[in-house]
Amino acid sequence: MNAWDELVQRCALRRRDKIGPLSDEAYAELLLAVRADPEAFVDTSVERSALVMARALDAYRASCRDDDLLDDAAYEAERARRLAALHAECVLAREIDESSLDANLMQLLTADLEPDPLLEGLLELEKDFSCDEPPAGDAWDDVFYRPHLRLRAAVARTCADSARFKMARDAALSVIDASPSDPLGARHTCMLAYARLEDEAGFDAVSARFSRQESSWSHLARAIMLYKLDRMPAARRALRGFDGLCPGGAYALLRPTYVELYLPDRPEVAPCSFEESMLAVREAEPVIADTPDFIPWCQDQEWLVASAARFAEGHDLDW
Amino acid sequence: MAHNPQREDYQRLSLRFARELDRLDPGEATRAFASFGRRFAQDRDSLPQSDADRAFHLVVLATEVVDYQLPFATDEQAPGLIKRGRDLLDEALSLDPACHDAARMRSSSEAPSVEARYRHLAERADEVRASCERARDEAVAGLDDERASLAADIAMRPYLRWLASLAEEALICGRNRVAADVAERLLRLDARDLSDARFTLAYALAKLEDEDGLAELERRYASISPLRGPDDAWILLARIALAHKRCDFERARADLSRLLSTYAGAAGTLIRQVELPDGEFARLRVRPYSEDELILAVSEGIVLLQEGNDRSGKGVLGTWVAREVARLDPEAAREAAQAARREGAQQA
Repeated sequence: MNAWDELVQRCALRRRDKIGPLSDEAYAELLLAVRADPEAFVDTSVERSALVMARALDAYRASCRDDDLLDDAAYEAERARRLAALHAECVLAREIDESSLDANLMQLLTADLEPDPLLEGLLELEKDFSCDEPPAGDAWDDVFYRPHLRLRAAVARTCADSARFKMARDAALSVIDASPSDPLGARHTCMLAYARLEDEAGFDAVSARFSRQESSWSHLARAIMLYKLDRMPAARRALRGFDGLCPGGAYALLRPTYVELYLPDRPEVAPCSFEESMLAVREAEPVIADTPDFIPWCQDQEWLVASAARFAEGHDLDW
Repeated sequence: MAHNPQREDYQRLSLRFARELDRLDPGEATRAFASFGRRFAQDRDSLPQSDADRAFHLVVLATEVVDYQLPFATDEQAPGLIKRGRDLLDEALSLDPACHDAARMRSSSEAPSVEARYRHLAERADEVRASCERARDEAVAGLDDERASLAADIAMRPYLRWLASLAEEALICGRNRVAADVAERLLRLDARDLSDARFTLAYALAKLEDEDGLAELERRYASISPLRGPDDAWILLARIALAHKRCDFERARADLSRLLSTYAGAAGTLIRQVELPDGEFARLRVRPYSEDELILAVSEGIVLLQEGNDRSGKGVLGTWVAREVARLDPEAAREAAQAARREGAQQA
């Protein structure tokens, strides 16, 4: 989530509504002015709440940078401290404006709950913040609607984490329906759900909807799905695709590392990058856990292990 | 229903014995018939039998050892029992290389992983079917209808057990669609569901979150299992899992209460959620609605209970079930916690 960018848009749009119709050029000027000094334009309680969140997210992300230097215990302590600080800011942001869905969502996510209570909280939020039909066209273009899409995408991911794959699929599909450009990547959650449900037709339909654009999720989900369907030569080809098109994917799969909570959504990473594969592997965990011998099977593929070892060597990673 | 190895052993020999009787005059036949039970129990070797019959008897003995004694053995006894089971199965295979039960049980204990076990069963399934069909065609030759039907039945049972194992392994491997397909194949071959394939099917459908399929299976109980309605632990756990998966906690609680009232001593079993090794010969034979039956259903149901990314390692559904049962029956929860502490102390 680019909190500053959304805050700028919100402030500029409100200002425009207040001063009356503006030409495109004039609105562009206004945007530039707000971007240069957002705080000067913050006026309503929603904006003040968003400002607190934007600052808190900056501080949180900055504090993540030196984690590599910490040992496990120190990392755990630092993580707890950092999350608690962000949580406190989210509580504050929510106190400033209770109607801020982002503040509510972030307060819930930073509580670091187990999947079931988290899902309960998210569904509760959906009820409290229920709204009419999403805006026509791509709902993402409406900056005021984005919190709803973020919430729904979080519902989809939490459903997958709590082994509710049809609910995950349906929630993810509703995000894609409302926002066909899918900047939140709900299609990735959807593909993992289809893989777990062994629904090849569904998987294929969602892949076609995005012009078969591949990602770490699509490659990995396809390999798992075909493995589950016991179509082993095809599963092997899919795994080769994952390895060939996602550099570092093999390493991410065979040496999974801890991935921090999404606050409030996935961090931005390059398609098919090593970082993306780490996210995909983390999100695929509940699906992979259902096939106890999937990872051992991957480990039996010598080319995959060799590829992971090469990546580790080239990037100074443990192997 | 469940496969009953002793009974099958008896049926095999009585069928062969009956063929011999046909050659005798009625008086002799009556006398011989009267002696069968005693000879079966005390002087088995005096009865006519083929190598296949002898091999099956060794399978029965091996089953007794590995499925019914081994789970209750001490650490000191276990290696001896394992060796004895293996020796019996090897002997069965040396008598009858086509003894598929022995081959299946033998390979299952040797396979290094569930995947390997699954692979072995999947790859040989067609060959086993062909072999059993040949045996069936030979067995029925010259028999009247009633005997022919029993002989055909007995000849095909190793294949039914092969498929039942395959369906169970597929479920453990996370190949839920394969598990459902194999269970359906089994139900087509064995309409009375001697293998209780419907239990495995219920779990596979729950894993696939196939609500319609599970509802349809419940309706099909009337023909598959006319004497026992859809209120066994498998179908109830599958329903609980599906209700929980769609966040219908009220429904899930209602079915959980039903499970608790149907099975004696259910609370402790549902809180502990212990995973046991599956029966090697077939699903263990236990009394319907007994605590043992629930223990089996929960053990096989680990694939449903332990799903999801919860931190306790018990699984999202497993955690929910244990908590709900503890709420309904706090006394059972205390006992389960005490038992867990005792086990922990023993292991430490």
